[in-house]
Amino acid sequence: MSARTVKLVEIAERVLVDNDQVATGVRSRLEAAGVLAVNIIAGPGAGKTSLISRMLAALGGRARVGVIEGDISGSVDTARVLAAGAADAVQINTGGNCHLEADMIERALADLDLSALDLLFIENVGNLVCPTHWRLGEHVKLCLVGASEGDDKPLKYPEIFAVSDVVVLNKIDLIEFVDFDHARFVESVRALNRNAPIFEVSCRSDAGIDALAGWLQAQRKRLGEDFQCASR
Amino acid sequence: MHELSVTSYLVDAVDTRARELGATRVLTINLVIGERSGIVDDSLRFYFEMLAPGTLVEGAALTVARTSLRFHCAACERDYGPSGFDFLCPNCGAPGEVVDDGSDLLIESLEIET
Repeated sequence: MSARTVKLVEIAERVLVDNDQVATGVRSRLEAAGVLAVNIIAGPGAGKTSLISRMLAALGGRARVGVIEGDISGSVDTARVLAAGAADAVQINTGGNCHLEADMIERALADLDLSALDLLFIENVGNLVCPTHWRLGEHVKLCLVGASEGDDKPLKYPEIFAVSDVVVLNKIDLIEFVDFDHARFVESVRALNRNAPIFEVSCRSDAGIDALAGWLQAQRKRLGEDFQCASR
Repeated sequence: MHELSVTSYLVDAVDTRARELGATRVLTINLVIGERSGIVDDSLRFYFEMLAPGTLVEGAALTVARTSLRFHCAACERDYGPSGFDFLCPNCGAPGEVVDDGSDLLIESLEIET
């Protein structure tokens, strides 16, 4: 019987390596179909579903848009985006999980006809912490904050701002009513992320909505040209 | 906040790597976890004890090295952590640039028995 040996082996892999592999597969399928995927991460009430609805209106006939809605329970958001003009929508109920994982997206793709889409919004579970770690195969990680949530969100949840490809500040029509320090917000985001564009929008007044829709369209056009998000 | 999911991936990933390496069991798992990753050690260990039985990681020790949110000030040529109120350099007051977002979730190395 041979002696047992003990050795130290360097691994240097993410704990979520298995999730990342599934995410890579999802991204390959999306790219083969020419679909740009946008992972929307925000706290509850920041306006994720409203933003998707306004993007649908702004993109109009220029892009065929699908939506994957992630929620702990219920399907009210799926009904909303379909009513707003989404070409297709799938609801994922996590049953309590605080974030979406890549295998949930892989299963949801079975219910979507990717050949009929140009753009896919993935609305993550309302939470600024947990969704940050799970890659879903998206091309663009979009962090959304409402002005009424306060200018200190980057201070309290720095990681999501650090890893996002684009930051969207919603509800700018409320800034004058809620003591939101705009300069402090921008300065904090910039300290964490030098490159991500910051879009300032109002889903009520439509301010800034066309600019964001145009940016997303530009990202979509760059698919297939060795896509790397423009902010990187 | 999401230790059950993370620990479940951890056990599966280490069990798979250990098998590939021909291990008979895993003695130590050395992790690097950022302070900002939302992972509490006690919860991680609790779920680990729950999920490990029946795998090669059963009985393994977990060591956790913590990284934290760090910035660099180019003018002062120094790194610093956030004050809690802003991300400005405590020395000169200029905004720095993030060098570590403190969100690591890494399996650094494994001590295995073969």
